[in-house]
Amino acid sequence: MKMSKRTALLGGVTLTLGLGLGAAMAQETVKVVGVIEMSGAGATAGTNYKNGAQMAVDEINAKGGILGKKIDFVVYDTQTNPGNTRAAVQRGVDEGAFAIFGPVFSGPISASMQIAQKAGVPQIVGGEAAGLTKQGVTTIFRTSLNQADAMPKLAEYFKNDVKANSVAVVWVNNDFGKGGRDAIIPELQKRGIKIAADIATESAQADFAADAIKVKSSNADAVFVYLNEEESARFLRAIKQQGYDKPIVGETTLLGAKVIELAGDAAEGAKGHVGLSVDAPNPLFAEFGKKFQAKFNYKSDHNGIKGYSGMYMLKHVAEKTGKLDKEAWLKYAHGAIIRTKDEPGILIDSKFDANGDVDRESFLAEVKKGQQVITGTLPPVNKF
Amino acid sequence: MTRHPVFSRIDANLATLLIGAVILWFAPAGLKSYGLYVISLWLVMSIAAMGLNLTLGYAGLKSLAQAAFLGIGAYTTALITAKGGIIGPGWSWPLAFVVSGAITFFAGVILGFPALRVKFHYLAFVTLSFATVMFLIFRNEQWLTGGVYGFSNIPRPSVMGSKLDNDLAFFRFVLVVTVLLSLAMWWMLRSPWGRAFTALRENPLRAASLGINLRAYTLLAFAIGSAYGGFAGALYAPLVEFIDPAPFAISASFVLLLTVVVGGQGYFLGPFLGAAFSYVLPEVLRATGGLYLLIYAALVLILLLITPQGIIGIVEKMRENRRQKAAQEQRNASKVMLEA
Repeated sequence: MKMSKRTALLGGVTLTLGLGLGAAMAQETVKVVGVIEMSGAGATAGTNYKNGAQMAVDEINAKGGILGKKIDFVVYDTQTNPGNTRAAVQRGVDEGAFAIFGPVFSGPISASMQIAQKAGVPQIVGGEAAGLTKQGVTTIFRTSLNQADAMPKLAEYFKNDVKANSVAVVWVNNDFGKGGRDAIIPELQKRGIKIAADIATESAQADFAADAIKVKSSNADAVFVYLNEEESARFLRAIKQQGYDKPIVGETTLLGAKVIELAGDAAEGAKGHVGLSVDAPNPLFAEFGKKFQAKFNYKSDHNGIKGYSGMYMLKHVAEKTGKLDKEAWLKYAHGAIIRTKDEPGILIDSKFDANGDVDRESFLAEVKKGQQVITGTLPPVNKF
Repeated sequence: MTRHPVFSRIDANLATLLIGAVILWFAPAGLKSYGLYVISLWLVMSIAAMGLNLTLGYAGLKSLAQAAFLGIGAYTTALITAKGGIIGPGWSWPLAFVVSGAITFFAGVILGFPALRVKFHYLAFVTLSFATVMFLIFRNEQWLTGGVYGFSNIPRPSVMGSKLDNDLAFFRFVLVVTVLLSLAMWWMLRSPWGRAFTALRENPLRAASLGINLRAYTLLAFAIGSAYGGFAGALYAPLVEFIDPAPFAISASFVLLLTVVVGGQGYFLGPFLGAAFSYVLPEVLRATGGLYLLIYAALVLILLLITPQGIIGIVEKMRENRRQKAAQEQRNASKVMLEA
């Protein structure tokens, strides 16, 4: 397989080309780099997160930006792949981003948060996996409740409202699902609830018939479903086909607008705990929901709210410090309490602790007539 | 004047490799971390593709498990080097590199046994199931691999007491390893082994009749190709500093297969071109915004329609056309002469 010298040299030259580098941005704007799942398994969640953030950026820019500077928001797709996410976060840092916005899935966050940490760049993420804020990374901030905080609330709900003595747990085998499973099972057992079945499913799994049959034959009093959006909808359809009539309980994703839309009638009666919802009894959420619907022509799920409120959190903290200084921003944000009376864009009173975890009220909800209906409000884990 | 035997052995591939290495040593000095990360990734994946190129391009064995070997190398390296390393920070990486290569070599031998019995797409199925099993081990054996939570804080190697935390230094380290592995591959392909591998692909029956031990060479091709996957893994883990099962899933094996095919299977420089196409081009195409994956997919389709032999195939085709044309002209000229 011999080649001429010229052929080989041509190849060599091609190798050394092919790398473009973003030029440094002028400091007239505040650069915020979105590193978000726009394709791959996280595309549904990522698109919502990005749209929410984009809407906040448009609003903030229309009112003059942050400290007089407009936000320059660019989004790099992660393909829901840790390696690509790392590259994208690195690119954002190299381009001098004031903050990294995203990603939403926990695996890609784990792979990239050290990069932001090394550079001292704040990273506002949508991940729920408990481990993210346990590793001493000082630049990460959540926009949703930590699983470790949400699951005890849910276990209480199983005990007091569902009154279940045994529960079948269905989870997706990625770090989000596994983290949720590892968090809920001890909480349930602590409350004397038996685990009747412990069922792992695959990310992007299409057919849930076998899992639905396992749940049904476990004879548990209720099933806890902890899957990503599209898989949740497929599972709901599969279990309804089995004629399952016991309570189907979920945490945030199961009751999301996208799941209800995809599952149709099969979502009817599903209930559980939600961190954020446009249907919550809160005029700010309702107003956000309306604006989002008008702009993107579909109903936002909790990820849209996370993107929107996260961007306002970024703005609020920057304005409180009075300058665009990352170190000052991080210092203020750890321990910051942001109330809607000071910053309506945050949508709900929130407290960010020293690890970057967020604490706030959350809700109990049920799907009725194709709508998520809020049936109760739960207080924050620690009152503030 | 007769040429010194050493010079006569230096061919175009080697010249390109060495010139390319010198350019790459100096060229990225101005690049920031992102650029260095992308070209480091390119080199690492080139090594993995080089291994697959040996099994597929030279020996003609269709393997769908190269990402699994990459994973074995990466997890082995993570386990040996993490938390200060099992034999101290200085020597843990070299140990990990050797062990990664050795484990994947023997895994390749074991996987190669069925390769003797089955061929073509049946062989692809055998490797596919191996890749699936490996993925499940990476994901489910949490006590060993960290499971879905992954393995974080994998350190960069140290050279002569100083840790390669600087991205440029690490890139140059990757470059040196890549050049060494490429030289070994170059030497091997020109040796009787390499000729035997090609003979296996072109005509196994004739190869056997010439006294080539088919069983031994099939196993060897598989094992060496797999070991290159392991070597690449030993660099991948410290490059990303975090691993979870996702980059070693079946789809990643398919991307590596695409890399070899797109670059030009059976060409020494094919894996480098292919890896640039598979791992660098999508990053460059980000400039086109949301459409970048569509554009990328269209490029793959068009490329393989135009030139099934890969990127190098285009150049080869052009040369072939020129040769044909020259031959035609010669024929025409000689005809005139005959008539005259």
